[in-house]
Amino acid sequence: MIPEILKTRAEQGFADQFIAGKAGLPGAGNAWVEGLRDAAWKTYAATGLPHRRIEEWKYTDLRTLLRDAYPPAPALAEALNGDDIAQALGKDMAGIDCHLLVVVDGHFRAGLSDVSGLADRAKVHSLGDALGDPEDWLKSALEQTRSDTVLALNTALMTGGVVLRIEEDASIGKPVHIVHLFAAKDAASITTRNIIVIGAGAEVTLLESYVSLGSTPAQRNSVTDLRAGDGSRVQHVKFQNENLSSVHLTNWMTRLGADMTYNAFQFSIGASLARNQISVAFAGEGTSSHLSSAVMARGKQHNDTTVVIDHAVPGCESREFSKLVLDDAARGIIQCKVKVHRGAQKSDGYQMARGLLLSEGAEFYSKPELEIFADDVVCGHGSTSGQVDENLMFYLRSRGIPEAQARALLITAFVGEVLEKIANEDIRAAFMNMAETWLASEDE
Amino acid sequence: MAGVKERKTTEMLEIKNLHVKIADDDTKILKGINLRVPKGEVHALMGPNGSGKSTLAYVLAGKDDYEITDGSITWNGEDITGMAPDERAAAGIFLAFQYPIEIPGVATMTFLRTSLNAIRKARGEAELSTPDFIRLVREKTKALDIKDDKLKRPLNVGFSGGEKKRQEILQMALLEPSLCVLDETDSGLDIDAVKIVSEGVNALRGPERAMLIITHYQRLLNYIVPDRVHVLSDGKIVRSGGKELALELEESGYAAFGAAAA
Ligand SMILES: Nc1ncnc2c1ncn2[C@@H]1O[C@H](COP(=O)(O)OP(=O)(O)O)[C@@H](O)[C@H]1O
Ligand SMILES: [Mg+2]
Repeated sequence: MIPEILKTRAEQGFADQFIAGKAGLPGAGNAWVEGLRDAAWKTYAATGLPHRRIEEWKYTDLRTLLRDAYPPAPALAEALNGDDIAQALGKDMAGIDCHLLVVVDGHFRAGLSDVSGLADRAKVHSLGDALGDPEDWLKSALEQTRSDTVLALNTALMTGGVVLRIEEDASIGKPVHIVHLFAAKDAASITTRNIIVIGAGAEVTLLESYVSLGSTPAQRNSVTDLRAGDGSRVQHVKFQNENLSSVHLTNWMTRLGADMTYNAFQFSIGASLARNQISVAFAGEGTSSHLSSAVMARGKQHNDTTVVIDHAVPGCESREFSKLVLDDAARGIIQCKVKVHRGAQKSDGYQMARGLLLSEGAEFYSKPELEIFADDVVCGHGSTSGQVDENLMFYLRSRGIPEAQARALLITAFVGEVLEKIANEDIRAAFMNMAETWLASEDE
Repeated sequence: MAGVKERKTTEMLEIKNLHVKIADDDTKILKGINLRVPKGEVHALMGPNGSGKSTLAYVLAGKDDYEITDGSITWNGEDITGMAPDERAAAGIFLAFQYPIEIPGVATMTFLRTSLNAIRKARGEAELSTPDFIRLVREKTKALDIKDDKLKRPLNVGFSGGEKKRQEILQMALLEPSLCVLDETDSGLDIDAVKIVSEGVNALRGPERAMLIITHYQRLLNYIVPDRVHVLSDGKIVRSGGKELALELEESGYAAFGAAAA
C-alpha cells in the first residue's frame, strides 16, 4: 500500500494515521471530501516528507528533523476557560481588544469564542462542520493546486479550523483574532485549516496566534487560505509562540484581488522547529503586498520563513522585510522568491532581510530569488548580517548606560524597526513588549 | 593662572607619561602625555590633524580600540584606566564626540531618559518622573535652540552636522558631568551655532567642573576662553601656555611649534 519511498518512522506514522483515522475525520461520508482527502494522501504518500534536496526545503530537512509522527490530538481536551486562553497567550496578547475565535487542539470551540460583535459583517463557521456538506466556494478553496507534500498532508488529515467570510465593504475595527491553542496532555499532532474570504471593499485586521498551554510537545500543521476581494484593505498578522518542544509548520496561501492592499506580519519566537511558509499571488492589478517578519530565536531553535510572491498580473507592488535576532546556536532562514510572469509589466518588487547574530554559534541564511519573465519591471533585494555594533555600544555606554542595558536597547531598536510596519497599535505594542521580555530573559 | 586656587590631585584630571597604541596593531599614537586639568579650569588642547587629540579623548572615555602601554590617568585621585565606559560616565566623565553616532530605532527622548536615569542611579539619585524629565529637557533644548521634533526622531539619524553637535551639548547639559571633554565641537558649525554651543558650555563652567576643549582652530576660544592652552603634536604635548598661546598659534601656524602643518 505504501510506496517504497516512505521509509522514515515519521513518514510511515502520518500515512498510517490517515488509514486508521480517515473514517473519523470531518467530512467522512461525503464523497467529495473523501475524494479530496484520498487524492491528497496519495500525493503525500508518493513523495513523503520534504527533504534538503528539494530546493524550497534546503535548510529545513523535515525528513531528518521529524523523527516520529505524534498521534492526532484527542478531539476534546478537558474543559478550558477564558483564563486558560489568556494564560497561553500571555498578558500582552491577551490584552488586545478583539473579536475572538478559538481553536483548541485542532477543533473550533464556539463556547470559548466571542464573535457577537461581528454581527452581520462576517460569518463564522467551524471548518469541521462545514466539511460535512461543503458548498461550492468552499470546495474550490480546498482543492489542492500546488505540489506541496506538507500541504497535501494537511488536506488529508485536517480536523478543523475556522471558516470566515467577511462581507463586501464591511469595516471591522477590532482585530479578528484566531487563537490556535495546543492544550493536549500528551504529545500530539494537530492539523488545521482556516479558510478566509474577504469581500470586495472590506477592511479588516486578522490576527492568528499559535500558542500552547504547558510544555507538551506538539506537531502542528496549519494552513490559512486567504482570498481578498478587489479594493479591500487587509492586515494579516501571525504570532507564533508555541512551546519550545514543538514543531510549527504553517502555510499561508494568499490570493489578492485588484486595487487592494495586503499588509502582513509574522512574529515568531516559539517552537523548536518553525517553518513559516507564505505564498502571495496577485490575481488583480494595482495591488500592493507588504510582508514583514520578526524572528527571535535562541538555544537550538530553528526558524525558517519561506516566501513566494507571484506577480501573475501587471502593475503590482511587493515588499518583504525581515529581521532576525539569533542567539546561542539558533538558526534563522529567510528564503524569498519573487516571480514575475510574462506580461506582468510594471511589477515592482523589493526584499530585504537582516540578521543580528548575538553569538558565534548562531546561523543566518538568506536566500533571495528573482524569476523575472517580463522586461518592464523593478525588482531588487538586499541582505545584511552582523553583530551588535560596537561603536554604538561605546556611545551608549559613554552616556552611562550599562553594557547589558545598552545591548538590549540596540536589539530592541533593531526589532522595533520592523515592528513599525504593523499598522495596528495594540498589536505592535504587544509585540514590542514581548520582544523586550524575550531580551530580558536572555540569561536564563 | 591668576585667581585660580591650587588644587589637590584628588580634584583634577591627571595624566602622567601616557603611552597609547592601537589595540589591534603596534601603531603608537600617544607618546608620553603629561597633563593636569584641575576642577574649576578650562583647558584647550590644540594640534594639527592626526596628532592624537581624538585618541586622547577616546582613551579618557574608555574606548577599547586603544591600549595603554605606559603611564596613568587619574580623575579625582582615582585610577580610571580599568573602568568600563559606563563606569567612567558614572564617575562624571563626559566626551562630546567629534563625530556623534547615529542610532537608528532609538528615539532621542528614550535615549536621553535612559542615559539620565542610568547616571542618576549610579549617583544614588532617584529616577526623574516623566513630567520632571520633560520639563528639564524642554529647558535645555530651548537654550540650545533644538526643535522638539528632533527629540522624537531616532538619535542623530538624518541630523545635520551642527544638529548632532548640539545634541552632544544637550546631553552634557542634562547629565551634568564633572569632567567635560569636547572633541572639535565647533567643527562644522556656523558662527551663530558656535555662539549657541559656547553659551551652553560656558553655562556649565564652575568650580566643581573641569573641561578639556579640543579644537583645531582658535575661533572657538574667542567664545570659550580657556585658562590654559596645550599644543599636541605627534602624540606629545609640545607646548603649554595661557590663552594668548591660541592667538599665537593662529598667526604662526602649527609648524612654528615643531608640528607638521595640517
Ligand atoms: N582606531 C584607529 N585605528 C587606526 N588608526 C587610528 C585609530 N585611531 C586613530 N588612528 C590614527 O592615529 C592618529 C591620530 O588620530 P586622531 O587621534 O584621530 O587625531 P586627531 O584627532 O588629532 O586628528 C592618526 O594617524 C589616525 O589615523
Ligand atoms: Mg580628531
